[in-house]
Amino acid sequence: MKNVKHLVFLAVLVAQAMVLSVIESWLPVPQVIPGVKLGLANIITLVVLVFFGFRDALIVVFVRCFLASVFSGGILGFAFSISGGILSTIVMALIYLRFKKSFSLLGISIAGAVAHNIGQLGAASFVMKELAVMSYLPILLISGIIMGCFVGLCSGLLVQSLKKTNYFKLENRG
Amino acid sequence: MLKKGDLFLIAAIVGIVALSYVGMQLVGLAKGDVHRIAVIKKEDKEIKRIDLDTVEAPYKITLSGAYNEVILVEKGRIRFDEADCPDKVCVKTGWLSKRGDAAVCIPDRTMIKIEGNSGEVDSVTF
Repeated sequence: MKNVKHLVFLAVLVAQAMVLSVIESWLPVPQVIPGVKLGLANIITLVVLVFFGFRDALIVVFVRCFLASVFSGGILGFAFSISGGILSTIVMALIYLRFKKSFSLLGISIAGAVAHNIGQLGAASFVMKELAVMSYLPILLISGIIMGCFVGLCSGLLVQSLKKTNYFKLENRG
Repeated sequence: MLKKGDLFLIAAIVGIVALSYVGMQLVGLAKGDVHRIAVIKKEDKEIKRIDLDTVEAPYKITLSGAYNEVILVEKGRIRFDEADCPDKVCVKTGWLSKRGDAAVCIPDRTMIKIEGNSGEVDSVTF
């Protein structure tokens, strides 16, 4: 961590991600389908990725998953959220840094949501020692597209407004 | 705001889902005379096998452990009926009736999956 300002920004973003997760748990909407979540915290991951880069996004995701499991999930919950979170951050960073020209934040967010679901199901099949867990994948892929669209739109708007402020210096990283 | 890559990505995912759906249907339909066996597993151990095609009257199975689940068995189908785990993904999954269907309770490491008759040749002819 180079300076205090940077550290504080990341801490605030982690806090916001956690608040978003709490708000998300109040929303009754996506409860119809098993295991489907909106993934609002991914908005923060995307914003960190855009303004601070891959390394800080990973740190934010890790800290968020750790804190969330301290407050509610437990060790098993941590294993799931971290495997989904890390995989989705890697995928989103790869697309954002390498293929920015052909993908908007919407597509990056969809890829992230889908990667998150794949990571979680991977962890689940590992815990259960049973590949049949993957039968949840199709429904989670479709929901990943829908939720990813929503999260991508929100992130796009947020990034646009944040760029107008001068709080974040874009020239640090691509 | 949408770019070319986004559309390609969405199309690719929808394509994969469609393919896997067709694949699951084929697995479910192949050899219709094969009995469907529901396998119940808890903590990596298989605890029960039920031939769903020979179930006569509906009945319930209660599993206890870190969390408790009630499994409802009927002719040709099976489901998690109640569970006291936090997320209830297993209950929301609903009825399982085709080969390849599965319902999982992660917090309790319990799952039901449907297999074909074991011991018979698993060949698929088109």
